[in-house]
Amino acid sequence: MKEIVQVKLDNEMDLILAHKRAMKLCEMTGFSLIVQTSIATAISEIARCAIEYGKEAVLVLGIESMGVKKFFKAMIRDKTDFSLRCTEACSFAKRLVDDIEIIRNGKEISITLQQQLNFSGTLTEGKIESFANYFKTEPPVSAYDEIRRKNLQLQELAEKLKESENDYRFLTDTLPLMMFSANTRGIISYSNKWLQDFFGFVPKELSQATWQAVIHPQDFSSFGKDIAYAVAKGTAFNGQYRFRQKSTGNYLWHIITVIPLKNEKEIITRWIGFIVDISAQKQVDQTLKDNRELKEIQQQLFQNQSELQQKVIELNRSNYELEQFAHLASHDLQEPLRKLFFYTDVLKKKYNANLDTSGHNMLNNMTLAAGRMKELISDLLSYSQLQQQKLKFEPVDLNDIINEIIKDLDIIIKEKKATVNIGNLPVLNGHPLRLRQLFTNLISNALKYSKQDTPPVIEVTASIENENILIRVKDNGIGFEEQYREKIFGLFERLHTRDQFPGTGIGLSICKRIVELHNGSIEADSVPNEYAIFSVTLPVTNAVDALIEE
Amino acid sequence: MSNDIRILVVDDDKEDHLILQEYFSESRIEKNVKFVDNGVKALEYLENITGDEDLPKLIVLDLNMPLLNGSQTLLQLKQNMRFKNIPVIIYSTSESENEKRKCLSFGAIDYMVKPVTMEEGQRMVDKFKTFIA
Repeated sequence: MKEIVQVKLDNEMDLILAHKRAMKLCEMTGFSLIVQTSIATAISEIARCAIEYGKEAVLVLGIESMGVKKFFKAMIRDKTDFSLRCTEACSFAKRLVDDIEIIRNGKEISITLQQQLNFSGTLTEGKIESFANYFKTEPPVSAYDEIRRKNLQLQELAEKLKESENDYRFLTDTLPLMMFSANTRGIISYSNKWLQDFFGFVPKELSQATWQAVIHPQDFSSFGKDIAYAVAKGTAFNGQYRFRQKSTGNYLWHIITVIPLKNEKEIITRWIGFIVDISAQKQVDQTLKDNRELKEIQQQLFQNQSELQQKVIELNRSNYELEQFAHLASHDLQEPLRKLFFYTDVLKKKYNANLDTSGHNMLNNMTLAAGRMKELISDLLSYSQLQQQKLKFEPVDLNDIINEIIKDLDIIIKEKKATVNIGNLPVLNGHPLRLRQLFTNLISNALKYSKQDTPPVIEVTASIENENILIRVKDNGIGFEEQYREKIFGLFERLHTRDQFPGTGIGLSICKRIVELHNGSIEADSVPNEYAIFSVTLPVTNAVDALIEE
Repeated sequence: MSNDIRILVVDDDKEDHLILQEYFSESRIEKNVKFVDNGVKALEYLENITGDEDLPKLIVLDLNMPLLNGSQTLLQLKQNMRFKNIPVIIYSTSESENEKRKCLSFGAIDYMVKPVTMEEGQRMVDKFKTFIA
């Protein structure tokens, strides 16, 4: 059915309106005055019952097409069934129109009156449309009609508004951002669901306490300053802060924008705010930054590596040079030296008669000088070989080593009336020849740097300290000043003139190198004219047998 | 062609030639000693000897020499069918144990350190003389 016009059926005034409209539509559709009156009367009968017994009854007037035939229709419907109270009216109406139909659907009821139109062919769709327009624009038939219409319009508007507000609310609730709106006193009139879910409460006002509950403690003071400035100046502000998510307890990075809304007189009426989650972006930023840093570290690493490589190359070259030096020392330097020895010997023996005492002395001094040079070359050679060696370790009994050394040094020990006390020494993983060289040097030094009037007393002891084996060689000799503690291990470092104490100044450098090759360290300590202690520290992993304490 | 040479000394050190020459003269065997400067010359000299009976009875090799050093010369001698049975004594300034072990493994019968006294020189030459007695 094509609806032409509706009339709400609330009271008697509506009944008049229903009658008038029915008459009008009947007139427009071309019914005779008698038929017009009959139909309008039938409608009025039913409508009166609807007003009396129904609740929200409505009359709908329209035209229905069925094939080539067209019918005038008047439907009165209501949510309550009033039909039982109007059987009389219905039977009366039935006599006035072609047909009457009552349909019940649950509690709803509709009573439709029908009358076939006389001139169906001339009634086009456009014409039917024009009837509807007529009723929309017809001047109010009465003051009541006018009020009624205004009310209707207002109701429609209200419904639309409600619908629109619902739409917006739905929109703001589903948007993945937080929103709020507050008046100038900071009272929050609206906050969306996202905000309430995120904060875990419905904020009532924009107070310090509210912000403090949700903003990261580290960000709070800068946020406080920013927002206070914006409020004082009446300007918008935005910033990035961490907001606490109630459900996880995590602080996530957000960007917050707060905007003042002003009326036409430029006076702020409200504040609205948006808070958008940017933690993913922050994470990407951080990842990018991390990547960049990683890249920088990689580059640095690469650079360090190439520097290291360069150092290794330099070291290898220096090792090669040392090797060359060792070769030179072992041969080319020794060659002329050997001739010097040989010719001196020939001179001494063959030409003995031709030399006076002074000549003999000179020859002796020459031999001594050559001897010192031989010693120097041999020490240097020894040191240079130690630079490049990787020692093969085997279990070495230090007790055996020290006893052998004492046997080797027997002559000088007797000469100096020295005493050597040996403690309980461990069996070590080490290089026997080099360890022997190390302790020979240390014990020889102890004998060498003794006081003239005091017989040397040398103690060789071992102990375990922390994770290390500590082997001490202590003497009662002349010692050295504190300032030379480090220096004495340097190559060619000598604390005394050759006349006082002969030597090359390489001995302790060799000692240091040997200890280092055993992954250990060596230190010297002394009180001048009382004692000197040389402490060799080796990692306990070098120990083969546990040290038995005395 | 008869050849008096019994000892071939290979050494680039002219001074050592003179020192050794002194000892050889005292022992009156200077005519039985041939001096050459390096390994190449030593091999040339040996190749030019036609009769095996004329080959030297002893070769004394210095280690550090230009062109072909002592150990290389030693290897070549030991690989040559004609020369491999000639005894070789290495004499060198180097006191290196490594060097000594290497030369003995290559087939030298002795390794002597060059003398620093008259007596040592004499003992060395006495040893050489045992090969031509």
